[in-house]
Amino acid sequence: MNIAVCVCQVPDTASVIGYVDGAIDYSRVNRVLNPYDEYALEEAVRLKERFSESIITVFSVVSDSAADVLRKALAFGVDRAVRVTSSEEVSDPFQTAQVLCRAISNYYPDALPDLVFCGKQSTDFQSAQVPSMLAEMLGMASVSGITSLNPSLDSLRVEREIEGGIEYIDVACPAVLSTEKGLNEPRKTSIRAVMEARKKSIDTLQVNLHEAPYAVMTALQPLERKKRCSFLPDEHELIRLLSQEHNLF
Amino acid sequence: MNKFLVFLEQREGVVKKASLSLWNRVQEIAALQNNAVVSGILIGPADIRQLDGAMAGDGVVYHAKDDRYRLYSQEYYTGVIEDTFKREACTALFFADTAMSRDLAPRLSVRLQASLLSGSAVSDADEGGVLRPVYSGSFLASFVPKRHQCIFLLSSNAPLPAYSAGGNIRLIDVEPQNVSMEDIFPVVRQIVMRVGMPDVAEARIIVAGGRGMGGAEGFALLEQLALLLGGAIGASRAAVDEGWRPHAEQIGQTGKTVAPALYFACGISGAVQHLAGMGSAGIVVAINRDRHAPIFDVADYGLAGDVHIVLPKLIDSLKEFLKKQ
Repeated sequence: MNIAVCVCQVPDTASVIGYVDGAIDYSRVNRVLNPYDEYALEEAVRLKERFSESIITVFSVVSDSAADVLRKALAFGVDRAVRVTSSEEVSDPFQTAQVLCRAISNYYPDALPDLVFCGKQSTDFQSAQVPSMLAEMLGMASVSGITSLNPSLDSLRVEREIEGGIEYIDVACPAVLSTEKGLNEPRKTSIRAVMEARKKSIDTLQVNLHEAPYAVMTALQPLERKKRCSFLPDEHELIRLLSQEHNLF
Repeated sequence: MNKFLVFLEQREGVVKKASLSLWNRVQEIAALQNNAVVSGILIGPADIRQLDGAMAGDGVVYHAKDDRYRLYSQEYYTGVIEDTFKREACTALFFADTAMSRDLAPRLSVRLQASLLSGSAVSDADEGGVLRPVYSGSFLASFVPKRHQCIFLLSSNAPLPAYSAGGNIRLIDVEPQNVSMEDIFPVVRQIVMRVGMPDVAEARIIVAGGRGMGGAEGFALLEQLALLLGGAIGASRAAVDEGWRPHAEQIGQTGKTVAPALYFACGISGAVQHLAGMGSAGIVVAINRDRHAPIFDVADYGLAGDVHIVLPKLIDSLKEFLKKQ
């Protein structure tokens, strides 16, 4: 079984993203593997542990610095890592999906991979568009935001959280599955695994991008959400304010 | 002239409130744009009586009521929406932000070659873009479309305009012909709904707890409070990672983004990742032992004290109060 995993790099959510002279200041930002992609890698590696003939290849559309996320993926136990570079700068989810689609199609010239895992969304822009777009471009089935996966004889049984409940879904390979928190508990990579990952080679694949972006970000402002908190003497005053001043109940 | 198509989502035959609110919002946007035409698309059998009085303005709702598509089918739903959008020569497609929409919209963006803009509000800029918080809610970004046709995916619980509902809605049954079913797509076997409390993503009132609740049993207090107010339970990442609550209830960066009218933060310190999930809530009440906890910086009202002492008093007083109402 061929399994592809697509990962990306995001600012660590704990780091402070500054705003200087009308622009984002990334100088204090530490970049890490997108947290949702860890569930994707973990699930792929668990499948390989069950189906040992599987080959996992991780793809990332990244700049030079981002070799780190591919090393991290190798430390998880994936077999091959591919750094995807594009002829034009990639600036939106549509272009990202387009570049990943070409990279995957080029890398697997004979038959598409059986499974493609992606994190549900990146934690920086949170658009959650790339996995389903990629599936549509590859002509593959997809399920977004899975929280459980069980392979059966001829299909995969997956679960997805919906508003107020759970959807139980059967999907056949090949498919793109995007992973939600709760799917698994990603392993802690051991020092030995990290050392071994450093020795492995990372392939580079250059693809062409002709398509213009579908949407662009035009402005970015710091979001001020501070409020002036009134500390109340007791719960009676709170109930009065909520019911009479704000008509909440 | 602009023609807007609104996806009306049904689950178990009931059209979602979020879809109906979205319809009314789109009517308002249409009124500002030289009276653009608004139509709806409803897929699967549904109780259409509930639409009476709930939908504002004039418009046609196309209903593909084939009983086989009571449950969500990615292939059929994508095909029917694509078919309707093209047949009616629409210019924009609107989705309320739900699990189903997030599954459908990116596919349709590729198929229709339309810009997909997800956001919390439609910006009033000329280009017709959206605003969306990014980087854990530290920044508000504006996105504008580069294609002629657009798909908007709008947070279902963003503040809505007060709109006197009760328009002139015509329902037209359709049997889409151009939907090919290739059987490679996922099939939903069943859905299982939780009973009891409203879902955290849709609730008007949310009672959320964090590490300060001390354990799974601490949430019993929050359940009592939620039950009294008809609210839903939410949890911080700390409470979910401790195994006290399911991930479905997590609010924050790696959980849900919510915008209820009233949000109780109990025993939650207010890490930036949590604030990312509840930053758009209306009135925020924080209950915490530590008067300097960052949650108070984003709260309207604060009760400084131990949740295990404050909450029982609040619940008792609220019971008294509601009895008198």
